[in-house]
Amino acid sequence: MRIPCPYCGERDIHEFAYLGDATVSRPDPARNDAVQAFYEYVYLRDNPAGSFQELWYHAAGCHSWLVVTRDTRTHAIFGARLASREAS
Amino acid sequence: MSDLALKPLSAFRGHLAFTGMSEASGAGVTLEVRDDLAMAIVIARKGRLAALAENVCQTYGIDLPAGPKRVAAGSLAFIGTGPGQFLAVEQGGDALTFASRLAGALGDAASISDQSASRAVLRVSGPRVRGVLAKGLAIDLHPSVFRPGDAALSSIALIGAHLWQLDERPTYEISVFRSLAGSFAEFIWSSAAEYGVTIDNP
Amino acid sequence: MAAQSQPARLQSGGLIDRARPLEFQFDGRKMTGYAGDTLASALVANGVTLTGRSFKYHRPRGVLTAGSEEPNALVELRGGSRREPNTKATTVELFAGLEARSQNRWPSLTFDALSVNSLFAPLLVAGFYYKTFMWPAAFWEKLYEPLIRKAAGLGRASGLPDPDTYEKAFAFCDVLVIGGGPTGLMAALTACRAGARVILCDEDFGFGGRLLSETFEIAGISGASWVGETVAELAESANVTLMRRTTVFGVYDTGTYGALERVGDHLPTHVPHQPRQRLWKIVAKRAVLAAGAIERPIVFGGNDRPGAVMAAAVRSYVNRYAAVPGRRIAVFTNNDDGWKTVADCAAAGIPVEAVIDPRANLPEGLRNLADRAGATLFAGGRVLDAYGVSSGLQAIDVETAGGSIVTLNADCLAMSGGWNPALALTTHLGSRPVWRPDIHAFVASAPPPGLEVAGAANGSLALAACLAEGAAEGAKAAEAAGFSASMPAIPAVGADPTGMMPLWKVERSRTKAFVDFQNDVTAKDIAISESEGYRSVEHLKRYTALGMATDQGKTANVNALAIMAALTGKSIPETGVTTFRPPYTPVAIAAFAGHHRGKHFRPTRLTPSHLWAAEQGAPFVETGQWLRAQWYPRPGETDWLVSVSREVNATRSGVGVCDVSTLGKIDIMGADAGAFLDRVYINTFSTLAIGKVRYGVMLREDGIVMDDGTTARLADHHYYMSTTTVNAAKVMQHLEFCHQVLWPELDVQLASATEQWAQFAIAGPNARDTLRGLIDPEFDISNEALPYMGATTLTICGGLPARLFRISFSGELAYEIAVPAGYGDGLIRAIMSVGAPFGVTPYGTEALGVMRIEKGHAAGNELNGTITAADLGLGRMMSTKKDYIGRVMAERPGLADPERPRLVGFKPVDRAQRLRAGAHFLPLGAKAVAANDEGFMTSVAFSPSLNHWIGLGYLKNGASRLGERVRAHDPVRGLEFEVEICDPIFIDPKGERLRV
Ligand SMILES: [Zn+2]
Repeated sequence: MRIPCPYCGERDIHEFAYLGDATVSRPDPARNDAVQAFYEYVYLRDNPAGSFQELWYHAAGCHSWLVVTRDTRTHAIFGARLASREAS
Repeated sequence: MSDLALKPLSAFRGHLAFTGMSEASGAGVTLEVRDDLAMAIVIARKGRLAALAENVCQTYGIDLPAGPKRVAAGSLAFIGTGPGQFLAVEQGGDALTFASRLAGALGDAASISDQSASRAVLRVSGPRVRGVLAKGLAIDLHPSVFRPGDAALSSIALIGAHLWQLDERPTYEISVFRSLAGSFAEFIWSSAAEYGVTIDNP
Repeated sequence: MAAQSQPARLQSGGLIDRARPLEFQFDGRKMTGYAGDTLASALVANGVTLTGRSFKYHRPRGVLTAGSEEPNALVELRGGSRREPNTKATTVELFAGLEARSQNRWPSLTFDALSVNSLFAPLLVAGFYYKTFMWPAAFWEKLYEPLIRKAAGLGRASGLPDPDTYEKAFAFCDVLVIGGGPTGLMAALTACRAGARVILCDEDFGFGGRLLSETFEIAGISGASWVGETVAELAESANVTLMRRTTVFGVYDTGTYGALERVGDHLPTHVPHQPRQRLWKIVAKRAVLAAGAIERPIVFGGNDRPGAVMAAAVRSYVNRYAAVPGRRIAVFTNNDDGWKTVADCAAAGIPVEAVIDPRANLPEGLRNLADRAGATLFAGGRVLDAYGVSSGLQAIDVETAGGSIVTLNADCLAMSGGWNPALALTTHLGSRPVWRPDIHAFVASAPPPGLEVAGAANGSLALAACLAEGAAEGAKAAEAAGFSASMPAIPAVGADPTGMMPLWKVERSRTKAFVDFQNDVTAKDIAISESEGYRSVEHLKRYTALGMATDQGKTANVNALAIMAALTGKSIPETGVTTFRPPYTPVAIAAFAGHHRGKHFRPTRLTPSHLWAAEQGAPFVETGQWLRAQWYPRPGETDWLVSVSREVNATRSGVGVCDVSTLGKIDIMGADAGAFLDRVYINTFSTLAIGKVRYGVMLREDGIVMDDGTTARLADHHYYMSTTTVNAAKVMQHLEFCHQVLWPELDVQLASATEQWAQFAIAGPNARDTLRGLIDPEFDISNEALPYMGATTLTICGGLPARLFRISFSGELAYEIAVPAGYGDGLIRAIMSVGAPFGVTPYGTEALGVMRIEKGHAAGNELNGTITAADLGLGRMMSTKKDYIGRVMAERPGLADPERPRLVGFKPVDRAQRLRAGAHFLPLGAKAVAANDEGFMTSVAFSPSLNHWIGLGYLKNGASRLGERVRAHDPVRGLEFEVEICDPIFIDPKGERLRV
C-alpha cells in the first residue's frame, strides 16, 4: 500500500504508523458529561465499510500526522492531508 | 581543565573495515565520510514561517524550500524536512557554535535544535549508486524523478535516513542517526560490494 | 561423445547451445546436457522418465509439464548446506556440475519400499486423516503422525544454516509487464516506444514464452527470431529493464508487486558479493498481466504414469530443447491446439502411434494431419487407462467411438484438456474469476486496480489475438501512466485454430485417475468428498487437500471443479471458483529476510562510549535496538553478580559512571512549551524555574501510565525532556500527535535530541569532586549553586559546551552530564582519568537496575501498560488544577479503586532466599488459584547494600500492608517462598544523600 504524504510524496505503508478514526475529536474535559464523552472518544469506534478518514503518522518521513481517506474494503486511498488544522 | 581538551570521534570510526574489501575494490560506488558538517534543526515558530524565510533569505541568500529540497549558498544549505521545518547544514564551520550562530541570525522567528553530533553522514557516488540504494530505499531515484537538489526522509534497510542529491553523477549524501552508523555502513558495504567499492575518506 | 550420452536428443534443432555441453548428475548418475536446457529437458534427452515418487502413494512420477506449474518432477537440488528440496526440474536451468536427487524414494527410485502405500490406498483416501485417527489422541502423536511423516512427504531440508546471501530491492516503473511471451513482448514494445519506463519480467531464463516452444512464424520469420529482434530493441532502450529469471509472485495494494529474481541459482558456484536471489518490491503505475495459460490434464486411469506428459510440454521438449519424451507417442486431446503436437512430432521424425480426440466430427485438416503423421485416429475416442512399469508408460487402453476397447503400445502419451488462463495474480487482492463458456475456462473478472490482463492470460488463446491484445494493453497502460502511445503494426501470423470440446474426466477408467498430482488427489477422492457432503469447493479443498500443495493446484483445480459439478449436477461456475494467494510459486523465507538475518536481523544502535566499553571487555545487552554495557568485569571476576555488586558498592561509597545516552531526549521549544508540557504530563511544568529539573509522568488518554522521565527548563522557551530508552520513539510520536492534531494552536516546536548528546550519569558521594576535574573553572557546581534538581549549561575540558543536570536514578549525589555525542568517547575517558583519585568505577545496566530497585524507581517492568500513576504511589502528583492527557479517564472508579495493586517493596522472610520476578502473591495459607491472586513481583535484585535479595511488585492494597507477609508463588520455576511487604524505597528513604 502506498500513502501520498502531502509533504514527502507517495511512500510505502511501512513508513507510516496507524492510529485510527480521524473524525473523532478530543472532548472538552470541562463539560458535564466529560467521563462519558471521553469513554466514547477513547473506546467507541465505527468500522464503516467504504470510505474512511483515518490518522496516520509519517514516522519514517516528515513526522507529519495525516488524515488519509481510505476505502476499508479495497484499501484504495483517495488522498491525504496534514492533520494539523493550522500548519504554520 | 584545558589539558583534557577532547576530540570528537567519527561515528564511522571502526565501521568502515569489511572482510573481502580488497577483492571488491572498484569504481562502482565511492564512499566518503562527511565529518565536516555542522547541522541544526530549524523550525518556524507559530505563524512565523514567512518571517523565517525572510530572515534566511536576507542573511544567507537562501530561499527556504517549500518541500523536501536542498537549497544551498556557499557552504550553507537548508533542507526541507517537514512543514515549516528544515535541517540547516554548514560545511566546514564550527559545529559547536553553529546552532547558536543560527539562532543569533534568525532571531525569534525559529526554534533551533543543535544536531551537529546527532548524524553520521556518508557521501555516496558512482555509476552504480542507484542500484545500491535500491536495495534498501523504497524511493524512486530515477533521474527523471529525483534530481540534484531533491531530498527525502525515509528509511534505508530499516535505518531512518535522510538523503539529498548533490549532482547528476549522481552523488548523494545520506545522513543517519549517529548510533546507527555501523549498521548503515554494513548495509552499504554488503549491497555495494558486487559493484566494486572505493572508500575515499576525507 | 556427448550426443551418444543423450539417447533422446534430436540430431539438430532446438534452442540449446550444442557447443556448450554441461555435465550433471541425477541420483549419482553422470549425464550431459547443453546450455539452454532445463534439468527436466536434460533428463528427457538422457532418456530419464522416472524423476520421483509421489507425496502420498509413492507412485512413480515423471515430468508432466515444461514450466512452473509442474506438480511431479520435484527434486532435491545441490548438496550439503545448499541442498534445496522440492525444486521443480522443469524450471531449473542446467549448469555444469549440477547435482540433483529424486525425492520420496527408499532405498532407490526404481525400487521404493514405501510404494506399498499404494496397496493401502483405501486407507489413504480423502478425509483419512479425519476419519482414521480419531481414537486416543496419544496414538496420533506417538504412532500415526511419525508413520505418516515417514511414508508421505516431500524433500528433505538440509538442516544446516543457509550459506547464501539474499537481498531485497525496490524498483519503480510506469508499466510493469508480467510475462515475456508474444503478448508481453508486444505490450512492452508498445509501452517502450511511447517512452514509458517499462519493466518486463519473465520467470524463464529466456524471453519468448510459448514462441520458444512452438513453430509459429511471425511476420515471415520464426517465432524465436522475432523474439530475438524484439528483445534486442527493448534491450537497447534505456527506459526498459529486462528481468529474466524473475517471477512476479504477488500483487499488493496500490500498484505494488512482489517479484523474485533468481540471480545465482543457475550458476555453478557462488559469485562473491552477489546474492543468490533478490526479492523485488516493484511499484508500477500500470501493469499488464501477460502470464499466458496453463494446459490442463485429462483425468483418466493412470494419467500420472511417467510418460504421460502435457501435449504442449511435449512440443517444448521437441522444439525448444530437441529432446524426445518418447519413441512411440500417442496424443490424447480434446482441442485443436493439442494437434500441434501431432504435427511437430511428425515434423521432427518422431513416430505418432495414435491420436485420440473425443470429438467425433473432426475437421478434414486434422484428419489429414493424422494421416500424414501415420497415426491411427480415434475420433470420438477416449483413453481409459494407461499402464506401465515404474520407469514408464507401456500401453494405453482406448475406448473407441463405437465403445470397443483397443490396447495400444505407447511410451509417451501427450495429453491436452484445453487451457486455463494463468490468472492467479488477478485474484491476489480478492477478485474472483468468472467462467467463460466459449473457451471453457475461468478468466479474470475485476483485476486489481492498475492491472490489465492480455493475451492467453485473458483467454485469448490464438497468437494473433495475443499480439494484438498485448499491443493494445501496452498502449493503454502507457497512456494511463501519462504517455502518448500509438499502436504498432501487428505482425502477421498464420491461422491458429482453438476449437475444443470439454472433456474433464473419462468415465469407466478402471485405475486411479489423478486430479491433483502433487497432493495425490484422485477423481475417486472427489466423489468421496461429494458423497460425504463436502461439496463446496472450500470444503473439497480441505477434505482432500486438493490444490493445497506448493503448486496451488495450477493443473488441478478446474478439473476438480468440473468433476464436482458433474457429480452434483451443477454447472462449473455454480460449483465455485478457485482463487490463489501469493506467492505464485514458492519463495524462500530467506529471500523475504534479505539482508536482515543473523546480526543484521535489525539495525543495532551503539552508544557514544561503545568503543571504550568494548575495550574494557564489557558484555553488552540488547535494550531495544541499543547495545548497552551490562557490567565491566575486573580481572578475576567470573560471576556477573560479583562484578555488579562491586559496581553498586563502589558507586554508593565512592563514585560510579554510567552511559545513559540511550534515554530519549527531546528539545521542546516555543512560547507555549510550558503550557504544552502541562497538558501532556500529570504534573505542572509551566511553573518550573529556568535551571530546574522536574520528574514527570505522562499518561495515555485512557489514564494508564505511558512513560516517565525528567524534564529540565534550560531557557524561557526551551525545555529538554528525557524519556525511557524503549519509549523514546513512542513518546515523540505522541507529542507530535498532541501538537499537530490536538493543539496546533500552541507555539511549540519539537526536535529529537537523543542522538545529539552523549550523556553520562556520575553518581556517588565523590561525584561532585570528580566533576570538578572536568568543569571549566569559571563555573560553580557547589551544592548552593547547583542544588538537587538543578540544571545548567556550561563548558568543560577547556571550552566544550555541555549540559549538566543534578538528577539521580541511583539515589546518590549524582549528575548527568551531556556533551555533543562525538565527544562522548573522549568524555568517558576523561571522567575515568579525573575520577581515578576518587576510585571512579564504570557501571553497566545491571548495577543501574540494582540501584534503581534499591531506590524503588519504576522502570520498564513496572510500566507495563496496565498501571496508573496512583498504582505507582504517585497519585498526589496528578494535578487537579489543569487538564492533561488521561486525566478524565484516570478518574474512572476502576482506576481510582484503592484496592488496586500498589507498587511496594518485598524482602524474603528467609534473607538467604533468592527472589524471582514473575512470582504471584497469595495470602499466607491460601490456595494457589487465580481467585486468591493479589499481584505479582515485577523486578528483583540482589542488594549489595542490604546483603539480601529485594523486589518490587504490585500488591492489592499494598500501601496499607507494610510489614505483612505474603506467599510468593512461582509455578514456572516451581518455587514458593514467604516475603515481607515493605516500602519500595530500600535505601535512604528520606533522600538525604541526594541533597548533599
Ligand atoms: Zn511525510
